[in-house]
Amino acid sequence: MLKIENLSATVGEGEAAKTIINGLSLKVPAGEVHAIMGPNGAGKSTLSYVLTGREGYEVTGGGATLDGADILAMDPEERAAAGLFLSFQYPVEIPGVPVMTFVRTAMNAQRKKRGEPEISAPDYLKKSRDVAKMLNLDADMLKRPVNVGFSGGEKKRLEIYQMMMLEPRFMVLDETDSGLDIDALRTVADGVNALRAPERGMLVITHYQRLLDHIKPDKVHVLAKGRIIKTGGPELAHRLEKEGYDGVLAEAV
Amino acid sequence: MSIALKDLIRNPSVAELELVARYAALKADPRRERLFEAFALTGLPHRRNEEWRWSDFKAAVGALEASATPPAQDPLASDGVATLKLTPQGYVAPVSLPPGLRLLPKDDVQAMSGAEDAPLGALAAALSGAKNAPATLMAEVTGETPVRLHMVFSGPGAINAARIVFLVRPGAELQVSESHLGGAAFSTALIEYTLQPGARLDRVVYQRGGKGEAQAITALIHQEADAETKQTVLAFGARVSRIETRLVHHETGSRATLNAAYLAGDGYHVDFTSHVRHGARACVTRQVTKGAVVDGGRGVFQGKFHVPRNTGQQTDASMQHNALLLEDGAEVFAKPELEILADDVQCAHGNTSGQLDAAQLFYLRQRGIPLVQARALLTEAFIAQALEEAGVHDEALRAQAQAWLSEV
Repeated sequence: MLKIENLSATVGEGEAAKTIINGLSLKVPAGEVHAIMGPNGAGKSTLSYVLTGREGYEVTGGGATLDGADILAMDPEERAAAGLFLSFQYPVEIPGVPVMTFVRTAMNAQRKKRGEPEISAPDYLKKSRDVAKMLNLDADMLKRPVNVGFSGGEKKRLEIYQMMMLEPRFMVLDETDSGLDIDALRTVADGVNALRAPERGMLVITHYQRLLDHIKPDKVHVLAKGRIIKTGGPELAHRLEKEGYDGVLAEAV
Repeated sequence: MSIALKDLIRNPSVAELELVARYAALKADPRRERLFEAFALTGLPHRRNEEWRWSDFKAAVGALEASATPPAQDPLASDGVATLKLTPQGYVAPVSLPPGLRLLPKDDVQAMSGAEDAPLGALAAALSGAKNAPATLMAEVTGETPVRLHMVFSGPGAINAARIVFLVRPGAELQVSESHLGGAAFSTALIEYTLQPGARLDRVVYQRGGKGEAQAITALIHQEADAETKQTVLAFGARVSRIETRLVHHETGSRATLNAAYLAGDGYHVDFTSHVRHGARACVTRQVTKGAVVDGGRGVFQGKFHVPRNTGQQTDASMQHNALLLEDGAEVFAKPELEILADDVQCAHGNTSGQLDAAQLFYLRQRGIPLVQARALLTEAFIAQALEEAGVHDEALRAQAQAWLSEV
């Protein structure tokens, strides 16, 4: 499904350009959830931005494909329509644009790109109600401007709301657990787990093992200095939690 | 005549000579003479006039001939509201006037206060009265129920000079919409509103001129005790366009909200100029102007609050201008001016210009919204605050803004 091969990328321009991703390779087959863990500055967020096409990041080598399609050659909106979704570590406030307007516009733009008919207003509302209920989201919140005045936890739940509405094929969750209390963490994890399916893949980026108690990964990768230095099963996350990154990093050298 | 006609304007342009000839052909009238002289002090304003440095009418108005473009469509005409048309040929009154509204066409030119400060307004006043138009069209608003009126300033011709003077009686309310749609090479409109104690004015202005046209819209608003004005303007500009509002709070308790949004495309120029004088204690002014400009477009904002030492105490006034430069090559000039001589006041102002936020654009695109649509959505949200007081016209104005945004 998602295949990253020998990827290198820089952030910044000209002489200030700095290599953050440095020969990273990774495969996430359909139906699997992989976790990426790593210390601060390892390149976790950069990886999520490079995959989704944010400006300011330049791919200097290697490639990434989603079901064989070269996603790095696409505009951000084309990648989204191809099914790639990023749950942002820091969701962005959009004053003046209500959540409903935003998500419906996004949904229909993706459908149009894929040659599918628009979702009808009643169908949208029904789906929205179901999803909001599952995530404990207040209906009033969906009428408010995107993320404006939302608490950290509300912002993260709204990311999952968007994910469940848009039903992407591949999801990148960038530190979705940060800023969440235990109850919110469980709610968010329930939403994510509801989307697990044989045809979907997921990359969960996190500092801590606790999110992985709720979203059970098939594999855990350790990212350091821009590449994967170790790959293991869920037990690797527990080991990192207990021993810290230093031990694993030392082993890899 | 005190001054020889040919000497009225120094170094006249072709257009100015034609304006002098048009003036000379009208019935002589001492007030008309005074008004034309007030115009002639500057002539067609140009960049060396401080108040007009970014909006050069002298350069933009060529020979006065029919415009190459037909008038724009009118988005505000609706549901049988009485419509007054002001064209180069004169005015056409609605078949039936709403109760509470009286039109009083005057054969004599009526005086205009502050004519020297508004040369193009003075020109409109000096030139109205040709053919089937009265020298001054006056209107009186009375009664307890709000009076709704729609006015259209448009029509083919070389020059459309129109003037209308409203007197809103104590406690009465006028809900007026104005569509300034061009169609003449040069249009200049002067609209005067006097609000007597407790009177209300809701004014919505839609302006859209052709790429070869020059348009000036001058409003003079005089407010007495506890009068209130709410004004919303949406402007798309012309080759050169100026929307000027000069408001005076004459008596205590007077309130004004002056909001405006402008969208300037390639080859279009929009100038918002306002001058508010706090001539009485405890009056309130709220002003929000939002603009978006693309490559080849130009926006101008000049806002002035004048708060005199003696009369302006307890003034509460705020001015906000925010512009979005949507592309390289877009131009915005802004001059917010607060002249505050009183010491017991609350006055605030803010002025920004910048680009769309890259993080917001990426967020929208990551959800699948194409760049052009994302830009339009964010720009619409940006200007929305300036349109939200437009009442029944809010949706029509937003639809026009959306249509423009989906095409740039």
